[in-house]
Amino acid sequence: MTLEGRGLACAYGPTRALDGVSFAVADGVLSIFGPNGAGKSTLLRLLAGERRPDAGDVFLDDVALSADRFGWRARMGVAGHRSGLYSKLTVAQNLLFFASLHGRATPRDARTALAAVEAEALADRRAEALSRGQRQLVALARALMRDPELLLLDEPFTGLDATASSVLEAALRERSRQGRVVVLVTHDVVRGTALADRVIVLRRGRVALDRPANQARPDRIVAAMGGHEDAPGGAGGAKAAGRP
Amino acid sequence: MLRRTWQVAAKDLRVELHAPGRILAMLAFVALAAFLFAMALDRARVEPRAVAGPFLWLVMLFAATAGAGRAFDAEDEDGAFRHLLLAPVPRSALFLGKAGANAVLVVAVAAAAFVAFVLFLGLRMPAWPAAHAGVLLPGAIGLAAASTFFGRMAGHSSLGDALLPVLVFPLLAPIAFFGATATGRLLADRPWPEVAGLARLLWACALGALAAGGLLFRHVVDD
Repeated sequence: MTLEGRGLACAYGPTRALDGVSFAVADGVLSIFGPNGAGKSTLLRLLAGERRPDAGDVFLDDVALSADRFGWRARMGVAGHRSGLYSKLTVAQNLLFFASLHGRATPRDARTALAAVEAEALADRRAEALSRGQRQLVALARALMRDPELLLLDEPFTGLDATASSVLEAALRERSRQGRVVVLVTHDVVRGTALADRVIVLRRGRVALDRPANQARPDRIVAAMGGHEDAPGGAGGAKAAGRP
Repeated sequence: MLRRTWQVAAKDLRVELHAPGRILAMLAFVALAAFLFAMALDRARVEPRAVAGPFLWLVMLFAATAGAGRAFDAEDEDGAFRHLLLAPVPRSALFLGKAGANAVLVVAVAAAAFVAFVLFLGLRMPAWPAAHAGVLLPGAIGLAAASTFFGRMAGHSSLGDALLPVLVFPLLAPIAFFGATATGRLLADRPWPEVAGLARLLWACALGALAAGGLLFRHVVDD
């Protein structure tokens, strides 16, 4: 399975959030780094189909997002900064509701999803009674629940303790092995690089570095984020974007 | 489409059952309003039956706007609405589901308001309640549909909830007018044929609000 962005551009009024961003990742984890305001969240919104790009398109196995936005939503799972849970419903009710919007789902499916992130004990608790980290875990369980082909994660480790972080890392590695695509936006360069098959660094809406993860040391990623012209693989802007 | 509509409506009603603050506030408002109208009315000079219809619909209008307009509070609390939009759900189903759940609440409020007005104004219980239901039901659906649509729209604006009455009252005025006239005639024991035309107009308004909301909702929620 290959996720590809071709010439993505997006502006908010006069501000160019993304300017000709291209990338590709096949069967694995793509980690996206960048300083604040680099365009990471905008890129994630484009990949989720929440916003239409001003130019360019996104492809999953050569199927364009713009050609079938509805079908695209059925193929992906998303977990972001906010858990997106209904606080008055129980965890199981939340998971069941969201899963049922994609097709038939049973309470057993919800419990299986929670077990995947080692959070079965939370099933019958109301979302409002959960800690920040527990809500994050449940949100991840929801994103993983339907075994989506594309998983989009925005700072998924925020609020997780060491144990939960390990569980999530294992889940992401497993998805990578299964040939799924995971897009991970994070400020944690070391962890993000360790998990990734490919990394890109965004800076001022352009790709400043695009490398296989095993060729991208964290110090070079940080240098590219800082805009150092001598960052290997960097300073090429969109030219640096390549295919795996 | 129908299945998605039902799922969204059932979820909203389930959330409402777990936290019935909105429906309780609406019920308290109609009870208080009916009581105050009853106390303020000079029964020696004004026949309660003659004014009950407009009062009832005025109260329903305010209750629906205040209550149904808050239908997205639970959605926005922790970003749940974003995940609803990311699911493969037609926007029309999303709107109809939320409007449907709101309609259930407004129908409950309308029924409670009707009983409260009958009790506090000392009206005779209608011999044929189904006739009143035939007027209140389409009115409540129309009020709920318009309030749901504009509730989301107002929530996106910098004016927030303050914008909702400005947007929605002019559009709801015909529903309130037809409803008040029809209820007034029924309370005056006029025969159904004198009300049937108004009931048809109320159904037309309700179905029009549902259809327009279903068609246009994606423009409100999608980037």
